[in-house]
Amino acid sequence: MRALGRLIRVREVPVLLGLVIVFVGTGLLNPIFFSVSILNDILFGVAIVATLAIAQTFVIVMRHIDLSVGSVVGFTSFLIGDLSSKGFSLGAVLLAALLVGASVGAVNGFLVAYLGLPSLVVTLATLYIVRGIFNEVGKGQTIVESMVPEELNWLGLNRLFGISYLFIIVLVLMVFAGFLMHRTRAARDLYAIGSNPSAAGLVGIPVKLRVLLAFTSTGAISGLAGAVMLARFNSSSTQSGLGLELLVIAACVVGGVSIAGGTGSVFGAVSGAVLLQTILMAIGALGIPQFWQLAVNGTLIIAAIGLDRYLSTRVKSSNIMGASS
Amino acid sequence: MTNLSTPKNLLTWDKGVVLFLVISIFIGSFASEYFATASNLSFVIASIAEIAIIAIAMAYLIIAGEIDLSVASIMALTSASVGYAFQAGVAFELAVVIGLVVGLLAGLFNGVLVTVFGLPSLAVTIATLALFRGLCWVLLENKPVNQLPREWIDLGNKNIPGTFFPWATILVVLLAGTAWFVLHHTKLGRWVFAIGTNADASRFSGIPVNSVKLGLFAFTGLMSAVAGVVYTLRFASASPDGGTGYELSVIAAVLFGGVAIAGGVGTMWGVLAAVLSLGVIKSGLQLAGFSANALLIVSGGLLLISVILPRVTEFVRVHRSKASTIKRTQ
Amino acid sequence: MKKRKSILAAAVTGAFLAFGLVGCAATDEAESPATSAAGTTDTAEALKIAIVPKAINIGYFTGWNEGAQEACAELGATCDYIGPNEITGAAQTEFINQVIQQNYDILVISAADQNAIVPALDKAREAGIIIVTSDADVAAESVGSRLVSILPSEQDDIGTAQVDWIAEAIGSEGSVAIITPANAANQTAWIAAMGPYLESQYPDMSWAGGSLESATFFANDPTESAEAFASILAQYPDVAGIISPTTVGVLAAAVEKKAKGAAVKVTGLGLPSEMAPYIEDGTVEKVGLWNPLDLGYVAVYAAVAAKNGNFDGAIGSTFTAGDKTYTVVDGGIAYLGSPFTFTKENIGEFKLIY
Repeated sequence: MRALGRLIRVREVPVLLGLVIVFVGTGLLNPIFFSVSILNDILFGVAIVATLAIAQTFVIVMRHIDLSVGSVVGFTSFLIGDLSSKGFSLGAVLLAALLVGASVGAVNGFLVAYLGLPSLVVTLATLYIVRGIFNEVGKGQTIVESMVPEELNWLGLNRLFGISYLFIIVLVLMVFAGFLMHRTRAARDLYAIGSNPSAAGLVGIPVKLRVLLAFTSTGAISGLAGAVMLARFNSSSTQSGLGLELLVIAACVVGGVSIAGGTGSVFGAVSGAVLLQTILMAIGALGIPQFWQLAVNGTLIIAAIGLDRYLSTRVKSSNIMGASS
Repeated sequence: MTNLSTPKNLLTWDKGVVLFLVISIFIGSFASEYFATASNLSFVIASIAEIAIIAIAMAYLIIAGEIDLSVASIMALTSASVGYAFQAGVAFELAVVIGLVVGLLAGLFNGVLVTVFGLPSLAVTIATLALFRGLCWVLLENKPVNQLPREWIDLGNKNIPGTFFPWATILVVLLAGTAWFVLHHTKLGRWVFAIGTNADASRFSGIPVNSVKLGLFAFTGLMSAVAGVVYTLRFASASPDGGTGYELSVIAAVLFGGVAIAGGVGTMWGVLAAVLSLGVIKSGLQLAGFSANALLIVSGGLLLISVILPRVTEFVRVHRSKASTIKRTQ
Repeated sequence: MKKRKSILAAAVTGAFLAFGLVGCAATDEAESPATSAAGTTDTAEALKIAIVPKAINIGYFTGWNEGAQEACAELGATCDYIGPNEITGAAQTEFINQVIQQNYDILVISAADQNAIVPALDKAREAGIIIVTSDADVAAESVGSRLVSILPSEQDDIGTAQVDWIAEAIGSEGSVAIITPANAANQTAWIAAMGPYLESQYPDMSWAGGSLESATFFANDPTESAEAFASILAQYPDVAGIISPTTVGVLAAAVEKKAKGAAVKVTGLGLPSEMAPYIEDGTVEKVGLWNPLDLGYVAVYAAVAAKNGNFDGAIGSTFTAGDKTYTVVDGGIAYLGSPFTFTKENIGEFKLIY
């Protein structure tokens, strides 16, 4: 347990270091950046990606990937508003979102675990399929503020000690998931599966069941993240969530959740998301010319990935998932 | 990682894809009276040309165990460079060369990040996707370039006289033919398969793994650049937001063509048949009245089928051989 | 191995043969659509019209299509709403091809990309299809590729009107910033008009950061718009007003303003149904927009009039739609009129319409 604790502390050093560098560096150049309100803006803005990054951690540590999360969260954010405006209670719509997400996750998990299909292919396919179904169901409508459940609206607008409730939700989820990941046998098995899939099976870990559960959990949390998304934007449309999956993966990698599997924590994932959001805000605050901002953003993400790689112990060449062969 | 039976199965899948292509052409003709016209077939080929060109290189890359998500951005960056140079007064021919060089350099950049700095290609090419796209905005800002030379636009849009093949077909056939030969009949091709199967073992047997990978990334950059030139001509313009989302279409086509994401397996036939099939199906369904959303669902479904089917045939094959073994021993 | 190879080779040859067979048997393009007999009425008998938006899953275009369908019903034409699900020129080109293949008589289109679709439009024109752009036009150099364009108001008017609205809200003094999509032809034109207008008409107002360039922030979706809002406040904490000439941007700005309790005033082009809550609770004083239904409606009438030989799109020519007559001006464009503005007084009525 202590060894595990030490490992986690080492793994998150790069991303926390990156956070400090970016925050302090930007603040020195533009003192406005040092304000508490900027910090709160960052936390408010990062809530969606952070929630999805926590969910993604479950599959990445197993050396898998879930590309369908963008489509799922967009769909559920729309569904919550749609059903709510038709009179369903908050509990019912959240349950619906959870079920939609969990179902997609279960399908992904089943195909990956029991049919042995590569997760990149499976989740790419479900990305398309869910988006297609979403577009059909959505029929070009927009969810407007009046359709958003009051409670979600309230969560999006209010703060606890200055921190948005949406980020409080992230923190609670992170602590809960983190606890699960370190204390429960089932979750610790995920790390074993990611480090050495064949060995994991040989030592008696029910690999297929774990993989199925992990994907289902990822899907379920992504489904609930739709509520966070709706609370944040007070609107939703069939364009919601497009392209979000790549940002989530970048956040995880930057946060030390190695794409090679076997290491990383939900704390790292959240930190990675916060770092990427801070970089985004910093670019705006530094007055970098509009047309240069995306290029600078990409460069800084490369630097963050590089820093994480440099400070970690892996230096051998690797395949696309970063696993040393 | 790969067992001995997998190559056989995927070779079956490659034949399957080609068969699928033939069937889908016939189905397309029956599904819609508008499908089997010269102008529509010409359009279908033109619409998949860019994807085919990039897929040729992506196939090599994935077989070797890597991936590049920034290809659409490199395609756009090439287009932006061509437009920028042309607008600055450079002769169009030279602008095209500049664009190709830019793409090659972008590919090299990816390659260096992966082979020299050891960064995982999936993650780092997500970042370079943003970087290269960002450079498009730096070059063109929000002013697309549109007054390209008429002869070049015609090259991008007209057919070879007397046929329904667009001029770009010649390019695709030449590139695909060469790529096929190199992949399946040269030492370099065998190296690519070996590296994808087991990079460490390949290194120990003397294959310069990092150099090969670096070269493949550069090749991918160059092919994305070629696709970028074709794209620029077809749309008679260079714009900073061109080609967004193409990377997923390319990867989906390559995977549908039987290239295993784990590396080490795949054929050029399969990939080309897959690219063409996806274009044919899209066109057929569209003309038969399916909406754009339905096409999304079909694309996803096909991708799933492309990986489920080989599993099923393998399952059947294993059971059949088990049964025959049992019979023989009785 | 040899046997497998030859099977593979046979299959591939078969594929190409199939392609070739089908291609050779293919009939060439259908004869150009017969022009209707010279008539003075605007009725259309079984005309096939394709209504192609920038993307089919966007609420604004659902409204645009409603208007077009209304006109089609009145004219007795069959109208099909088809289009891509992403706003790109490449995707829209595929649907223009569908229009050509399926022998439509008329194409009413909102250009997803002012340049990329031009070669496809040229092919459609060669096939004899009448093309009217509506809501978003092709580039000025390519206006020959379409018959006429139906746009809401003079580009300049749309831009200057928004400056007036923000001036009203901020008491004609203070600095102003803009949130806009990066590469949208319409927005670029409107903003270009805003610059000189603000400088000449409102001496006590200025652009945040000192120039139009420094005041313009790019955002292509709600997430980026929200981030742009935060960036503006971070860079220019004293900014008085924000203009967003796009329904996505102005909605996001209103949401952010309410969430942060910011003092900055917000205005722009807003869809009444989306902006209603923010106008009703005072977050936003006024936004404006035209009616997308009108854009669709008028475009169909223009195209049918041309098909019937009553209208040729030349500068100065006219056509009627509903009970109004429209004149084509410079650039081959017919304008609908000035934008409506929505305030507390009338939002209740309009939010139910679109």
